[in-house]
Amino acid sequence: MKVLNKPVDMIAVFYSSGRVEPVKFKYEDTPVTVHRIIKRYNEKLAGNRRICFVCINDGAKVYELKYEVDTQVWYLFKM
Amino acid sequence: MPDRIIMHIDVNSAFLSWQAVYNLQRGYSVDLREIPSAVGGNQATRHGIILARSIPAKKYGVKTGESVWEAKNKCPDLVLVPPNHHLYMKCSRALMEVLNEYSPRVQQYSIDEAFLDYTGMEKRLGEPVPFAHRLKDRIHAELGFTVNIGISCNKLLAKMASELKKPDMVHTLFPGEIREKMWPLPVEELFMVGRRTARKLRSMGILTIGGIAAADPDLLKHKLKSYGLLIYDYARGIENSAVFPGYYMPMKGMGNSSTIPFDVEDMHTARLILLSLSETVAMRLRYSQNCCSVIAVSIKYSDFKCCSHQQKLITPVNCTMDIYRTAARLFEEAWDGSPVRHMGIRVTGLQRDDRIQCSVFDHPYYLKNLYLDRAVDGIRDSHGIRSVVRACFINSGICASLGGVGSENWPVMSSTL
Repeated sequence: MKVLNKPVDMIAVFYSSGRVEPVKFKYEDTPVTVHRIIKRYNEKLAGNRRICFVCINDGAKVYELKYEVDTQVWYLFKM
Repeated sequence: MPDRIIMHIDVNSAFLSWQAVYNLQRGYSVDLREIPSAVGGNQATRHGIILARSIPAKKYGVKTGESVWEAKNKCPDLVLVPPNHHLYMKCSRALMEVLNEYSPRVQQYSIDEAFLDYTGMEKRLGEPVPFAHRLKDRIHAELGFTVNIGISCNKLLAKMASELKKPDMVHTLFPGEIREKMWPLPVEELFMVGRRTARKLRSMGILTIGGIAAADPDLLKHKLKSYGLLIYDYARGIENSAVFPGYYMPMKGMGNSSTIPFDVEDMHTARLILLSLSETVAMRLRYSQNCCSVIAVSIKYSDFKCCSHQQKLITPVNCTMDIYRTAARLFEEAWDGSPVRHMGIRVTGLQRDDRIQCSVFDHPYYLKNLYLDRAVDGIRDSHGIRSVVRACFINSGICASLGGVGSENWPVMSSTL
């Protein structure tokens, strides 16, 4: 996987319980629907909070999305 | 076992490693800590000084405090990153959050240092040394940077211990270990002993901390006054101040000043600059939860002649406008009319802001100003210092919050502007 850390436009669900879930994002004008989240974790490196999602599409394509809490920006981190 | 257990937590080359971790988080492949790099100055204009440098840069002889130009001469490949005070505050807060989970008595000592009172925590968290290793590893895993932890029975020895060997280490320095671990060190390693005192001590034939401890206290008092007795106690590991929880800062005052890019020749501009400085000082004052009862204004003229003027207030204040009004009056009284290149505002006589004695001479809008400042601080805290500025600064060409590290668009420290 390659590190990209590119901001992306995202449609996400913010559940009333406080949970966040990415649903669909646009990368270089290509819309991508998130099929399955296989892992989620919080990251607090340098005090900068990010919620990280390791996702998988078509059973094999793994990529990582990160939501930066302070700036409210979604990143396609790795692909 | 000693009565108290105090830990001192110190971030290893703080500014640089925070920037390095932040860069890694953003997907940079290079770790700044592993290449010759430094924080400071302005790359484009090659102005300013080195605030922090990596260990590889240290090997080239790059020193903290020297000018960027000097550093570049020593190491042409030096990677320079601009200071990012906002990030440092974030890292510092995150570190304090972690520490506060373990003990209610955590004192933030500086942006990258803290004391943690571990007394009585053994039953819950285990022996101090294994705990310190766990804490250090947790900070590394969670926040990404390394810390040194010093453990002892008072704040002084804990601080000395954390400075023994870096990075990413835990050291103990209990009174029984002073002779072996602290006394062989050169005098300037002792807390509170700087370059000048070191020179004086050397001229007295005292070369190591052990030398201070073995010296005649009367001689030290004669040569260095009461300060001599203080370092005599410190060299013997005697110090017993408490760990003050929270943002306790044993400071006597704070101030901001700025060299103005042009010479100020009229009162209107001078007032704008004073207002801008008041904004910065007052914000810092309120953030530290203090009020001030003395306000001082300093002026440096274009021929480098200096003067200052100060006033003691009837009631302590921390409102921007109160500080500004007094500063403007002081400036008017002190200014001789010649061109000014540098101005500063300093506040002293600090006291906590939780209880304030009001006075009939307070400004009629005192409370309104207080609430206004509180609201503006809140907005600036979450949206940046420039999110709310006073209208008088529009098109004035003057930065709305001059001086210091509180403003994001200003370098932290600089030798030339």
